[in-house]
Formats: sequence, C-alpha cells, structure tokens
Amino acid sequence: MFHVSLRYIFGIPPLILVLLPVASPDCEIEGKNGEEYRHVLTVSFEILAPIGENDSNCLNNEHNFFKKHSCDDDKEATFLKTAARKLKHFLNTNIHEELKHHLSIVSQGTLKLLNCTRKDKGKKQASLGEAQPTKNLEAKKSLKEQRKQDDMCFLRMLLQQIKTCWNKILRGTKEH
Amino acid sequence: MGSHACSPLFLALRMTILGTAFGMVFYLLQVVSGESGYAQNGDFEDAEPDDYSFSCYSQLEVNGSQHLINCAFDDPDVKSNNLEFEICESLTVNSCLNFNKLQERYLLKTEKFLLIGESKVCVKLRGKIVTCKTIKIIEIVKPEAPFNLKVIYRKEANDFVVTFNISQKKYVKKLIHEVAYHQEKNENDWTHVNLSSTKLTLLQKKLQADAMYEIKVRSIPLADYFQGFWSEWSPSFHFKTPESKGEMDPVLLIVSMLSFFCVALMFILACVLWKKRIKPIIWPSLPDHKKTLEQLCKKPKKNLYASFNPESFLDCQIHKVDGIQARDEVEGFLQDTFSPQLEESEKQRPGGSVQGTKHAVITPKPFRGDAPLGCLARNVSACDAPELSFSRSPDCRAGGKNEPPEDQGLLVGPGTTNGTLSPPFPFQSEILTLNPATQGQPLLTSLGSSQEEAYVTMSSFYQNQ
Repeated sequence: MFHVSLRYIFGIPPLILVLLPVASPDCEIEGKNGEEYRHVLTVSFEILAPIGENDSNCLNNEHNFFKKHSCDDDKEATFLKTAARKLKHFLNTNIHEELKHHLSIVSQGTLKLLNCTRKDKGKKQASLGEAQPTKNLEAKKSLKEQRKQDDMCFLRMLLQQIKTCWNKILRGTKEH
Repeated sequence: MGSHACSPLFLALRMTILGTAFGMVFYLLQVVSGESGYAQNGDFEDAEPDDYSFSCYSQLEVNGSQHLINCAFDDPDVKSNNLEFEICESLTVNSCLNFNKLQERYLLKTEKFLLIGESKVCVKLRGKIVTCKTIKIIEIVKPEAPFNLKVIYRKEANDFVVTFNISQKKYVKKLIHEVAYHQEKNENDWTHVNLSSTKLTLLQKKLQADAMYEIKVRSIPLADYFQGFWSEWSPSFHFKTPESKGEMDPVLLIVSMLSFFCVALMFILACVLWKKRIKPIIWPSLPDHKKTLEQLCKKPKKNLYASFNPESFLDCQIHKVDGIQARDEVEGFLQDTFSPQLEESEKQRPGGSVQGTKHAVITPKPFRGDAPLGCLARNVSACDAPELSFSRSPDCRAGGKNEPPEDQGLLVGPGTTNGTLSPPFPFQSEILTLNPATQGQPLLTSLGSSQEEAYVTMSSFYQNQ
C-alpha cells in the first residue's frame, strides 16, 4: 500500500509538468489596439490583394488547410501562427519581389505580434500535414499537380483568412 | 657599542622611508602630468574613453519600397575610422544588416525593415560591439522635405494662395506641415502657421504692402503611429506683395460712415427744429404787451360770424322770446314798484343776503343779452378769446348748471372793487341792458368796443409800468 501511494504521489508532478505547456497558451497577442495592423499590415494586405484576383476557381476550391485550421473562438492565435508560418513557404515561389517582401512582412509581422514563446517545430510540421515523410510526399505531389492553379488561390485565401482573423481579434478587443 | 649596532638598521629604515617618499612624489607627478594632458605615447589607455553616443532617423519609402536609416555620432570629433554600425531585430531577415559610411554619417537603405517592434543598432569597433541602442524605426521618422512651393496672388480675393507638394507614401500618410514666412528685411521675424493640408491662404491685409517676402515649409509625422522629427525646410520661395491702393480698414470705414450719417442727421434735425425748438431756447423772445395787444385788436376778424344754428347753443339756456318779453313786462312793473325798497336793502346789506333779491329782480337782464353774447362769442376768432373768456365761459357753465346766468356777472361786477377788471363788466352789463333785443352784428360791435376799452386800459397799465 505504501509503495502504491508513493507511486501516485511522485507520479502527479511529472504529469502536471507534461500537461502544463499544452494547457497554457503559447502565444500572447500583442498590439491588440490594432495600430501595427492598421499602419503596417494593412499596407501589405492592400499590395497583396491582386494575388489570385483573376482566378475564377478560387472561391470553389477550398484547401485542406482551412478544414484543419480555422479562426474559431479562442483559436485565433493558433490559427494566425499556423497561417503565418504557412505564408513563409510562398517566399520561395516564383512571385514578384515586392510581393515577397510584403508576404514576409505579413508573415513575420503577425508572428512578432503574436509573441509566441514556444517554438514547436515538430508540431508545426504536423499541423500543416507536412511533418511526416509520407504525408509530405503526398502533399508535394498534390502541390505539384495543382501548383499552377491552386498556389495563388490558396495564397489569396490564406491572406484573406489572416486578415479576417486579425479583424476578429481587434473587433473583440474593441468590444471588450 | 649599542649605538653603533643600531646605526645600520636606522640607516636602512631611513632609506626605506626616503625611497617610499620619492616613489610617492614620482607617482603624484606622473598622475598630475597625465591629467594635464601631457601623455607622451598617445595611446587610448591614457586618453578619455570616446563618447560613442549617436542619433538616428529613418526615412520611409525614400526610393520605392526602400527605407533609409541614417545615424551619426553626437560628438563630431569621434575618430570613426574603425567604427561600424549594424542593425538587428525587427527585420524581415534573420541576420543583422550593416550600415555604409558616407563622410561622417552612416546610412542603410533597405526594404527589410519590419516596421513592427524594436530594433537594436550597435556601434562596433574592429568587429567588437562598443555600444548599442534600442530604437523603433517608426518613432524616428523624418519625412522628406516638401517641394514645389508656390505662392499665387489672387487679386479678386485679395489673398495669396500657398501650395506645395509632398511625396505620397503608403505608410506615413498623415503629416503636419509648418509654413514659415517673413518679410525679407526682418531677418528673424518669422510667422509660423501649422496645417495638415498642402494649401494655405494668406490674406493680403495681414502682409505689408509692397514688400518682399520669403516663405518655406517643412513637415513632421502626425504622432499617431509614426513619430519623429521635422523634415528639412523646403527651398524658399520669394514673392512680392502688391502696392497698397489706399484701401481703408473696413472697421474704420464703417465707423466713419456712421459718423457722417449721424452728423448729417443732426444737421437736418437742427434745420427742421430751429425755429420751433432750438431758437426759443437759445434766444427766448421777450413778450411785448403793446405789440401783442395791437395784433390782438388790429387783426381782421375774418372768422367772426354769427350763427343761429341751435346746435351752437346746446350748452346755453335758450328762452323763448315771448316768455322773456312777458317776463320783462312783469319785471318792469315790479322794478318800478320795488326799486326804492331794493336800493334801500342793498345799502343796508351789501353781503350774501343780496343774492336772493338779485335773483328775483335782475334775472331777466342776462337772459336778454349775456347768454347769447357768450355763445356767440364762442364763435369769434382766437383774438377775442382772452377777452371774452370773462363773460362767456362762466356764463355757459352757469347755464349748464341751471343757475341764473347773470349771477356770475352780477356777483363779480358789483362786488369787485378791482379797477382793472371792473370796466368790462359794467360795460357789458350796460350794453346788454341798453340793447336787450339786439342780436348778431350789433352785439359784436359792442364787443369790439369793449375790447378797445380793454386795450386802452392795458396800454395805460403798460405805460405806467
């Protein structure tokens, strides 16, 4: 009995230590007054607005990313962090340098404002569905197949979702 | 022996003390010479550490999407040969960026500023960081100087329109501009105007006429998100104000016009009211009784007329002639009978008791003449009014009260001892008695004669005075 009770007693702290990072928020949104968003990110969003504008299939083609990640309540920071990281992938694509520069501002600016303390690289890859080699390959294949059509559409939708999510955060801040 | 044994030890001690003293003096001399700037070797170790404090400003979108950061040491004497600047953090790249040196300034032109968060600018000496400063690029913004400053004179509006241009930016959109202008002969007398637009109107009246002016403008970010410093002044623009056309100040013009109208109004009023109001006050006319009486009596009696309209005699008692004649006969009879008694009683009682007797005896007399006289005289011109008021008005009033009309005349006449007033009444009563049945013109003739008598009396009175 004594051993059993000791096992329970000494087993609880490690459990707490394991669960604590999961339960606590890893991102603290800075700039909730919206100054940075209004004066810096909005400029980049406006410059990036023409991306995918001429593609008529953009609206009908919903990317898997948005099925997995959405800007739901209490998940805004997580969604923005994931979306901002996803934007970085487009910096290697063949787009105009100015667009790349503003994509970089949106991506890094969002991450800076989120002020995320935990850098979960493995989790990041998993959340994007690109961590596991098999899935990564599948994703690459699908991306290769649809890149010409879908890349700009996805980027456009991603930017729109990020913008919408920022607006939601700032609107909620104003209401409070 | 003891003294000899102690002497070497004593000498050694003295030498030690002397050596220490010399050492201290030498050290002090070295320190003093070092502080006085007599360092021989010129190494950094002996010189004061340099002040590497520096200041920076940023200019956003100076060349397309490229931004510029410009830093310089606050002390211009800093030996900057081996010094470098670098900026880290809040960049779109993970590495730090190095500045380029241009004379005494360090510049970095790049588009890799994140414009969110703080950056760290460090000074490096031979690759080693000497000092660092945390800055926010967005809070050290120095806008570009406005350009194309123009001043256009609008003759119709009597003003000057100042216009200038600024670079259109995506980030720093809101600026405050300061326009400064001065008359060229007054070097330091600058007038400053702040505005948010790029157009300013200067009223001509606020500027000196026929003078040369210099104007310039600069900008600063409106402190909402982007903050910073004043830009450089734009190139000055010189303009000349037109000559004055002798235009008056509107306030002065209004005051002068009002004053003129007031004076004109007073002049008109003076002219209108001169005879009636003003002259009598300034030169009051002395009354001349003689002239007054002359005018009174020589005035033609144009309005004198006799009227038998009954309405003219509403306030007078009218008696039928038949009744009066009958009464006259009776009275004549009674008068003959009782006149001696009456005379006796009047002599005995000259007071109020006579009144009742008078009623009985002399009543008919006024009925015959006095009442018509009073009522007729009312139609006489104003010239007769003062004279006739003695005999007319009281009679009419007496008649209205149903009192014997002759009472007043008889009471005043005999009872009055005043010589000046007594003549009209005896005359009047006499005339009336002598002409009991006369009407109209004869009556008025007698009235005129009474006035002449009054005139004679008043003239004598005037001469006596």
